[in-house]
Amino acid sequence: MDVTGASPYLSIRRLTKRFGSFTALDDVSLDVFAREFVVFLGPSGCGKTTLLRAIAGLDIQTSGTIHQGGRDVSALPPAERDFGIVFQSYALFPNLTVFDNVGYGLVSRGQPRSQIQARVAELLALVGLPDSGAKYPSQLSGGQQQRVALARALAISPGLLLLDEPLSALDARVRTHLRQELKELQRKLGITTIMVTHDQEEALTLADRIVVMNHGVIDQVGTPTEVYRQPASPFVADFVGTMNFLQASVAEHGVVAIGGRQFWVESLNGMKPGTAATVCIRPEDVKTRNVEPGSENALEVEVKALEFLGSFARARLAPADGGDPEIVADFSINLLRDLKVEPGLKLPVALPPDRLRAFPKA
Amino acid sequence: MTAASAPLIRARASRDDLIMRAGLALFALFLLVVVALPLWALLSKSFQDHNGNFVGLANYLRYVETPALFQSFWNSLFVAIVVTAIVVPLAFIYAYALTRSCMRFKAVFQGLALIPILAPSLLPAISLIYLFGNQGLLKGWLFGQPVYGATGIITAQVFYCFPHALMILVTALSMADQRLYESADALGASRLRKFLTVTLPGAKYGLISTSFVIFTLVITDFGIAKVVGGRFNVLATDIYKQVIGQQNFEMGAVVGVVLLVPALLSFAVDRIVARRQVAQLSARAVPFEPKPRQSRDLALTLFCAAIGLAILGVFAVSVWASFITFWPYNLTLTLKNYAFGNFDPLGWGVYWNSLKMAAASAILGTIAVFLGAYLVEKSKGFHVGRNFVHLLAMIPLAVPGLVLGLSYIFFFNMKGNPLGFLYGTMAILVVNTVAHFYTVSHLTAVTALKQLDAEFEAVSASLKVPVWRTFFRVTVPICLPAILDVAIYFFVNAMTTVSAVIFLYSSETKLASLAIVNMDESGFTAGAAGMATVIVVTSAAVKLAQLGLSRLLSRTQAWRKR
Ligand SMILES: Nc1ncnc2c1ncn2[C@@H]1O[C@H](COP(=O)(O)OP(=O)(O)OP(=O)(O)O)[C@@H](O)[C@H]1O
Ligand SMILES: [Mg+2]
Repeated sequence: MDVTGASPYLSIRRLTKRFGSFTALDDVSLDVFAREFVVFLGPSGCGKTTLLRAIAGLDIQTSGTIHQGGRDVSALPPAERDFGIVFQSYALFPNLTVFDNVGYGLVSRGQPRSQIQARVAELLALVGLPDSGAKYPSQLSGGQQQRVALARALAISPGLLLLDEPLSALDARVRTHLRQELKELQRKLGITTIMVTHDQEEALTLADRIVVMNHGVIDQVGTPTEVYRQPASPFVADFVGTMNFLQASVAEHGVVAIGGRQFWVESLNGMKPGTAATVCIRPEDVKTRNVEPGSENALEVEVKALEFLGSFARARLAPADGGDPEIVADFSINLLRDLKVEPGLKLPVALPPDRLRAFPKA
Repeated sequence: MTAASAPLIRARASRDDLIMRAGLALFALFLLVVVALPLWALLSKSFQDHNGNFVGLANYLRYVETPALFQSFWNSLFVAIVVTAIVVPLAFIYAYALTRSCMRFKAVFQGLALIPILAPSLLPAISLIYLFGNQGLLKGWLFGQPVYGATGIITAQVFYCFPHALMILVTALSMADQRLYESADALGASRLRKFLTVTLPGAKYGLISTSFVIFTLVITDFGIAKVVGGRFNVLATDIYKQVIGQQNFEMGAVVGVVLLVPALLSFAVDRIVARRQVAQLSARAVPFEPKPRQSRDLALTLFCAAIGLAILGVFAVSVWASFITFWPYNLTLTLKNYAFGNFDPLGWGVYWNSLKMAAASAILGTIAVFLGAYLVEKSKGFHVGRNFVHLLAMIPLAVPGLVLGLSYIFFFNMKGNPLGFLYGTMAILVVNTVAHFYTVSHLTAVTALKQLDAEFEAVSASLKVPVWRTFFRVTVPICLPAILDVAIYFFVNAMTTVSAVIFLYSSETKLASLAIVNMDESGFTAGAAGMATVIVVTSAAVKLAQLGLSRLLSRTQAWRKR
């Protein structure tokens, strides 16, 4: 998604939210562009919901401003903002039919009955429940309820769609399926969407941009690839995907020492020689095929343990001559077969310099 | 940390917020007028002389120095302690049988035990007089001792208080964690040890709470002491005598304040206990499933049968006696005791008054309670207002009916009170009854509202639907069973209440429950029994109607089916 040059649809500036002496959001700034799908990702209690509720006006921030579509909505109550919302609980009205739930926001706008009927039918078709209008929420499955909640939020054609962990109450299969549907629907409608989740897989597959949050601050904003490939902090690196964390010290320009061995690193983020560092590499980035012993960043290792994970296997590796670093690396099933990998096997692997990321030691 | 800080934001209130805040303010005013200000009037009266001059503690000193008055303080204390000591263990065993055994006919036993709630407290007292009074059938059983006095009060109170104790203890005992018993089994604990180390500690708070509730009920009940107290004076009858008999309002106020002390104390303890109790049952607890054990189940069945039959018997005596021509000499059946015109100028009019008053209290009280609870529970921000209203709503639980009634006399007769015109009308009886039974209803409504999804209001706001629409379209329909509960609670209590309204009725607005007191006073015991029977039948009918109605709700409203 190209966002350069455009002015943001939603602009959050220096938002702080305090609950008594506890700071749930600390000076958060963020831009969201029209038609974008942004996902707030972070561990439990990091402030995702708080930020979402501030955007909705449900729990107004202590300080800081929010502009939506060029309008200052910072202090406005929810009813005067323009958004639709789906909660984790869906909050469907149990005593109203699916039809009445979806049409709930339309009735008080004084539209004629026939128009409402047409709109609700359209929405139900959109979310794939064309024949469920007469049912009550309790007669639907969790996934169906989630779609009804979505249809209800979309009914008034809001400028912004807010989703707070909309898929977390569903079982894994339904969740994967609904994830795709949600993404397609969002593309089709082109509605600016913000979703909260603590599920990194959900964030990676759905988001145009991911906002990784930790302890009330934003650690990184970026596309899924950026967040995965170039995590801005060890926290992001750890929270998104699996990561090797290796204790190192900066030896000289472009070189770090790990357990007495020297490795080339593409970027040291300006760290000076002698500083203690944490060097990261993802298991799938460890080069395991066609490594010449003695080549750049190569290392002779012994397979200590092997864990099958379906289409690949994850191995724990330790230097063949003992010492550090211990590394976790992924082997494709193919390679596994070709090399006859099993515990005790010795082989050369390499840590490509462009895949190694170094951070100052916390 | 950045140097300059971002602008502080003050949330702008929406129209909905403003409506709800205005509602809360109105409610605070309402509760102030019907609860707080009258109590204040009572309190200040107790520090004044006849002419309204401030006299400090003079009235209190006189109270302590008048042996006849102070003696009733000890009498009340004695009676309350004895009744508590009898009722709590009995109700505990009964509740244990209902919750922890595989006894059969549990529903029947539960129903039997709850009968006394349907009647004014006077009824067991009247029955005692029929059984053991001067013309009592079983007079001989007392070896010539009169039933009037402490014995009569204690016996009648035990019957009256039993269901109140039972309800709390059943709740306490049904919250048990199966896993605790399983681990005790695994450790090879004996039955007695399990009872002492698992069951009793689990019910500890329930037992404490019950004891205080019963103690307060006894100390503040008026009807029983009035009917079988004889010359044994207690606080509750003292107030009545001081105010109605001697027109000594100041002394009445002092006794009222004294009566408030144990009630407030028990209220405080109950609150503390309730807070502790919450943490007891974790979300992961496994509900307790009793296993059959023949000897225990049989023993408990016999115990419950004995108690249940005693309760039924006591109530049946009054009902039977109300159809008797001339107790105990001519036991042929008759309807003449139901010609209430012979005993009271209003005749059946008092019953219609009661129905009117109960219906008005049920309707207006339920509307007030539910709206108030909704405002407290669902309005945003304005914490001060919400907490204040909630606090005011809790006060009536701690105020005995007699004290509230007396307070109303003072408050509505105050010079310059613009509401003075209410005095002596049906309206004041309704307002007083709503106030008297406000707390339990409020808590019922709050509990029901807490079970709703907290985001309904947020969803409505996002859909630009005004809050009142969601209130009528969603909140009220979902809470209908709780609303029905509240209405019935108001109705039954309005039918049976004596203590508060006895100070407030006029000759035209006399209620059935008050006519019982009058008839008994004038020696028309059979008429009193007849009127009590009419009240019991009415309450029972209303309860049955409620059962039927809630069945109907769950059957006709498809969405209530799971
Ligand atoms: N009303 C409140 N009063 C006090 N603290 C609050 C309140 N709401 C949230 N918090 C605190 O603010 C922090 C952030 O809460 P928030 O609900 O935003 O977390 P979250 O990132 O959505 O987590 P989760 O994944 O568990 O939903 C938490 O530590 C929480 O305890
Ligand atoms: Mg959350």
